[in-house]
Amino acid sequence: MSEETRVETIEAEPKAWEPKIIGFLCNWCTYAGADLAGSSRLKYPANLRVVRVPCSGRVDPQFVLKAFERGYDGVLVSGCHPGDCHYSKGNFYARRRLMLLQRFLDYMGIEPERFHFDWISAAEGQKFAEVVTEFTEQVRKTGPFPGVGDQSQKVE
Amino acid sequence: MQNELRSKAKELLQNGEVKAVIGYESGSVPFKSTPLFAETPEEADKLIWNPTCVNNLALYLPQIKSMGKVAVVVKPCEARNVVELIKEHQIDRENIVVLAVSCAGIMKFDALKEIGLKEIKSIDWKGSDIAVETSGGQVVIEREKALLDKCLSCDIVEPVLFDAMIGKAVQRQSAKVSTIAEEYEKLSPSERRAFWAKQFERCIRCYACRQACSGCYCKECFVDKPSQTWVSKRTDAEANWFFHVGRMMHTAGRCTGCGECERACPMNIPLSLMTKQICRDVKEMFGNEAGMDAESSPILGSFNAQDPDPCPE
Repeated sequence: MSEETRVETIEAEPKAWEPKIIGFLCNWCTYAGADLAGSSRLKYPANLRVVRVPCSGRVDPQFVLKAFERGYDGVLVSGCHPGDCHYSKGNFYARRRLMLLQRFLDYMGIEPERFHFDWISAAEGQKFAEVVTEFTEQVRKTGPFPGVGDQSQKVE
Repeated sequence: MQNELRSKAKELLQNGEVKAVIGYESGSVPFKSTPLFAETPEEADKLIWNPTCVNNLALYLPQIKSMGKVAVVVKPCEARNVVELIKEHQIDRENIVVLAVSCAGIMKFDALKEIGLKEIKSIDWKGSDIAVETSGGQVVIEREKALLDKCLSCDIVEPVLFDAMIGKAVQRQSAKVSTIAEEYEKLSPSERRAFWAKQFERCIRCYACRQACSGCYCKECFVDKPSQTWVSKRTDAEANWFFHVGRMMHTAGRCTGCGECERACPMNIPLSLMTKQICRDVKEMFGNEAGMDAESSPILGSFNAQDPDPCPE
C-alpha cells in the first residue's frame, strides 16, 4: 500500500465517538481492585481515566460538576464498601453527599446514566471489570454529552 | 403587634440586655422595607412589622458576632435559619435573642404594581388577606394574588426556636404548588439542560444570591479563591452553571428554602426551582429538614448506616 492510499483510507473512515469517562477511585479499595483486574488480565474498556483519591470521602461534588462542565460523558465514583472504609467512616459521608448529587444532577437534566456510584473492594477485580464495562456501555447508549452551556445549536 | 414589637425591643435595649435589635424599618418607598439595626431605645421606635418585611435577617447574625448579644426579629420559617447557624457553630445561642413574630405571609412586591396602587398609606394583614390603605380608601388583595409562593405553601405555625413570641401563631390555609415547578418537571433531560443554559446565560455573577443567603457564611467562597480556581471568572453559561450548582451542593442540608437568593437576583433567575428540589431530596433521602431540629447534627455533616445506598445488598 503506497503512502497516498494509506492516508486516504484513514481519512475515509470517520473516527467513531468513544465515551470519555472519568473515575474517582479510592486508594484502598477500588484502585487496588482495578489493579487486581489488571494483574488478573481481565479486559475492560479503555474509556475510563482514573484519578486516585485517598478515600471516596475525598470526592467533592465539585469534582463531578467540573467533569461535566468540561464535557466528560460519564463520571464513576467508587470506594470501599460501607463499614470497610480505611478511615472508618469516609464513605458514609460520601454516600450522603453523592447520592444527593446524583438525584440533583438528574433534576438539572444530566441523565442518571452518566453518573455511577458504587462500592468495589480490593478483592473485587472481577466486579471492577464488570462495572466499568457496563457503565461504559450505558454511557455509550446515552450518547455524547453536549455540555451544560450553550445548547441552542445542539438541542431543540 | 408592631407596638408590642417596639416595646419589647425598647425593653431589651434599655436594660442593656442586647447591644442591638435587628428588625425592619420603612424603606424610601411606602411599600418597601429595609433592615434596621436599632442600637438605642429611640431607634427601636422605627421598627415596623407588616407584610412587606421580606428580608431574612438571620443573614446578619454571623456577620455581627463581634457586637456581642443581639436580638433578631424572625418569622416562624426563618427561625430555622437561626437554628442551622447555631448547629453549625456560626453563632452562640447565648448571644442571640430570637424575637419571633407571627406571620400570615409576606407580600409580593409585584402584587402592588399589578394593581397599580398609588399613594399607599399603610399595608397590613386582614385575616389571611392583605389590606392596603390608600388615600382613596381600603383595598383588599386576596391571599393567592398577594403573597409570595413560599408563603402560600408554608405550613410552619410555631417557630422552631424563640425567646419571645410577638403576636399569636397564625394557622395556615392549604398549600398551593407553584406552576413553574410543575412545568419544569415535565421537561426531558436535554430540555432541562437547555432551560438552565438559557437561565444561567443571563447570570451576571453579581453574587447577590450568595450575599443574601444565611447559609453562605464562608469567609472565602470557592468562586473567590485566587488560587485553586474551581470556576472561571467569565460569565458564560458553563461557568455560571458550575457556580450555581456548586453553591446548591454547598448549601444542601442547611438550605431552608427561604427564597432570599431568588429575591435578591437582579436577573430573575428562578433559583427556587433548585433550592426547593434540594430541600425535598434531603427530606426524602435522609428524613430530616434543615433547621427543624435543634438537637440533631448538620445533615451532610453526619450519616446513618441506613442511608440510601447506591448498591443495596
